[in-house]
Amino acid sequence: MSDKITVENLSYFHARKTPYEIKALDGIDLNIQSGTVTGLIGHTGSGKSTLVQMFNGLLRPYEGRVLLDGADIWAKPKDINKIRFRVGLVMQYPEYQLFEETIYKDIAYGPKNMGLSDDEIRERVLEAADFVGLDRELLDKSPFDLSGGQKRRAAIAGIIAMRPELLILDEPAAGLDPRGRDAIFNNIVEYQKKSGSTVLIVSHSMEDMARYCDRLIVMSGAKILLEGECREIFTRADELSAVGLDVPQITRLMLALKEKGIELDTSVFTVEEALEEILRLYQDK
Amino acid sequence: MAETFIKVENLSYLYDADDGNTRKALKDLSFEINKGEFVAILGHNGSGKSTLAKLLNIILTPTEGKIFVGGKDVTDQNMSDEDILALRKTVGMVFQNPDNQLVATIVEDDVAFGPENLGVSSPDIRKRVDEVLGYVGMTEYAKHEPHRLSGGQKQRVAIAGVMAMMPECIIFDESTAMLDPLGRKDVMEAIERLNRDKGITVIMITHYMDEAARADRVIVLDDGRLILDGTPSEVFEEEERLRECGLAIPQCTELIHKLRAEGISLEGECVSLEDCVALIERSLKKQ
Amino acid sequence: MKSIAFGQYYPAESPLHRLDPRVKIILTILYIVCSFMCKNVLSYALLLISAIALVMLGRIPLRIVLKGLKAVLFVLGFTAALNIFWTAGEQLLFEWKFIKIYVEGIYAAVFIMIRITALIIGTSMLMTYTTTPIALTNAIEDLLSPLKKLHVPVHSFAMMMTIALRFIPTLTEETDRIMTAQKARGADFTSGSLVARAKALIPVLIPLFVSAFNRAGDLATAMECRCYNGGEGRTRMTVRKLRFADIIPLFLILLFGAGLVALNILKIGYTM
Repeated sequence: MSDKITVENLSYFHARKTPYEIKALDGIDLNIQSGTVTGLIGHTGSGKSTLVQMFNGLLRPYEGRVLLDGADIWAKPKDINKIRFRVGLVMQYPEYQLFEETIYKDIAYGPKNMGLSDDEIRERVLEAADFVGLDRELLDKSPFDLSGGQKRRAAIAGIIAMRPELLILDEPAAGLDPRGRDAIFNNIVEYQKKSGSTVLIVSHSMEDMARYCDRLIVMSGAKILLEGECREIFTRADELSAVGLDVPQITRLMLALKEKGIELDTSVFTVEEALEEILRLYQDK
Repeated sequence: MAETFIKVENLSYLYDADDGNTRKALKDLSFEINKGEFVAILGHNGSGKSTLAKLLNIILTPTEGKIFVGGKDVTDQNMSDEDILALRKTVGMVFQNPDNQLVATIVEDDVAFGPENLGVSSPDIRKRVDEVLGYVGMTEYAKHEPHRLSGGQKQRVAIAGVMAMMPECIIFDESTAMLDPLGRKDVMEAIERLNRDKGITVIMITHYMDEAARADRVIVLDDGRLILDGTPSEVFEEEERLRECGLAIPQCTELIHKLRAEGISLEGECVSLEDCVALIERSLKKQ
Repeated sequence: MKSIAFGQYYPAESPLHRLDPRVKIILTILYIVCSFMCKNVLSYALLLISAIALVMLGRIPLRIVLKGLKAVLFVLGFTAALNIFWTAGEQLLFEWKFIKIYVEGIYAAVFIMIRITALIIGTSMLMTYTTTPIALTNAIEDLLSPLKKLHVPVHSFAMMMTIALRFIPTLTEETDRIMTAQKARGADFTSGSLVARAKALIPVLIPLFVSAFNRAGDLATAMECRCYNGGEGRTRMTVRKLRFADIIPLFLILLFGAGLVALNILKIGYTM
């Protein structure tokens, strides 16, 4: 599988050359495979928000390179805007960035900046609205008339309408109730499958990561702590808890049972898998 | 017998929606909350739970029905300004967005804001501020500027600010929704402590099941109606009902329910992770 | 963006930092008055010395003070030039075509530069560098409180200032965030004509206003919940009592002023 993003020895400082200097990224090497849903997890201040802003050139590395499909995104600094269309970034609480009179116009903002024709824009806006499950009737409404969840979808559609090859979402479900969370994540996963693009999700929730991601990247203290398939990562509960992160609740349950002297497979992180594993215990007896 | 602190009778609230129609946010709600109780009010976004919080504090006035706080009808049209102030001193409120409830530019000045409004004497304010800041573990940040704190720290300052008014009850209106896991943990611990140690009645509005699991009692709202009311254990039994109104039970509880459905006998509460581990362990050893 | 910190407060331990803010405001006013009473070489020398003394009393690094002066370098140069070329006098120093420079012009230029420099150093040392904005706001409220009897909304004004100070950093951060978000959608704030750039700001300003209004609404509710009632019957956690040490500087500045007046009346100190 080819890499969508390759990061080589990336370093970045906030407030460089001031007394408040903070190392936000410390010599990071990383790759994100094409066509996957990858999860990025870490505490506030671990550097994950800085890292994702590197991928679309919102921040420029002090050291190291970011390669998109093998080409340095800063090869032609003047063309950095083109990179931002190829790598779409949905920021945290993106509903706060809506500004147009209608939802349609707001979703069209990105495509318009790309210089597309009106017909092309129309096609993309409708397609993006469908992807995020936004009723077409809502497109002519003002953002003020929408509920919080609908606004969130509209904002995500605004990025999807640019048809990015890599879609990055920073905490896309923050503040939503369980139904809202599931709906948004399902939409994102479905979008990935249909469009064949690559998706990177930043989240705090291990349970959500376990359910929706193929691979995981764990960050801590401006460095990559762990990287690999979800199953692999969750077997390393000790390393995660050492930096104050948790494994999914179900995995914690299995680990607690094992500690009580019950022999079972702890590399389990969904309710269904746990059910199967525990039923096996009863049958063995 | 526990003493009733808040009594809600046939409460309804109508509001004018953006599309010009009138909608009912709350429909004929009745329940009681006892002094010293820790009650979680659960519901999906738009279920009317935040409206309920604002009604309990008379920031909104009900369309129909009555609310009694400490035996006093606070929905009475003839409530004087002093009565309303007295109510807000008794029932404090912590909101969702930590940035939008801190008034002062220095942490300790913000905590002092409430008691200053109440006209408490200067030395007493000082005493209260020092005490509550210590209580939420923010003493070392007393001279800091709020905007340099993390979300969880800001929320703890907000809690201190309400505690400094010495309320009998604090309503938390989704106060953990915008926090990261560490911030949520700190704030939840502060909430539990002020309930257990200080005996303050806590009403916590949330859609996080793991938070609701830590309450004494859970009230579930759906579409403005009260649909479930009981201990966390009783409420989580109604898995289907909860799912219908957009809520999900904790994964461990779900697992126990599924095991029971497979015919495995697991007797007892399964609210927390520890409960579930103990249940499975006991049942396996019996076999 | 965050480097434009509001106010220029420089945290340090110094006699000026400890001084009662109310006294500092009065001192500043008196200092400004004093600077305009200077009329001769000796008094300007005294003014310059007093400014240097203030810098030393405030324990602010010279580098910071000079940086503050750099901003007004143009104003300094411009007024000096005006005085050199446009002051007519008796002692002609230099003449070339229509340009005539008199000795008086040189003096006037030096004096005006000293006055402006002393004014800037004096006010910034007494107020902005050594006093937090919030302490200044409270002090202004205290000093103006007699006006409350005349129904001037002194408290509301001070509350507005406090809230503005509290929310400026929050809104600055928010502006940053929204700009980043719109950049991610291909917004370009740095190229194109002036009109194009102004237009590019619309996607930033609208969400910023919406959010500011939401915050204002939330804050008003939160304040109401914390029993805010417009300042009536309000007490304060810290009530500053005037210490003896706070009064000494007032004597000193009065002495300084009296000295300057004496110099003027007695016409000593090389009056030009």
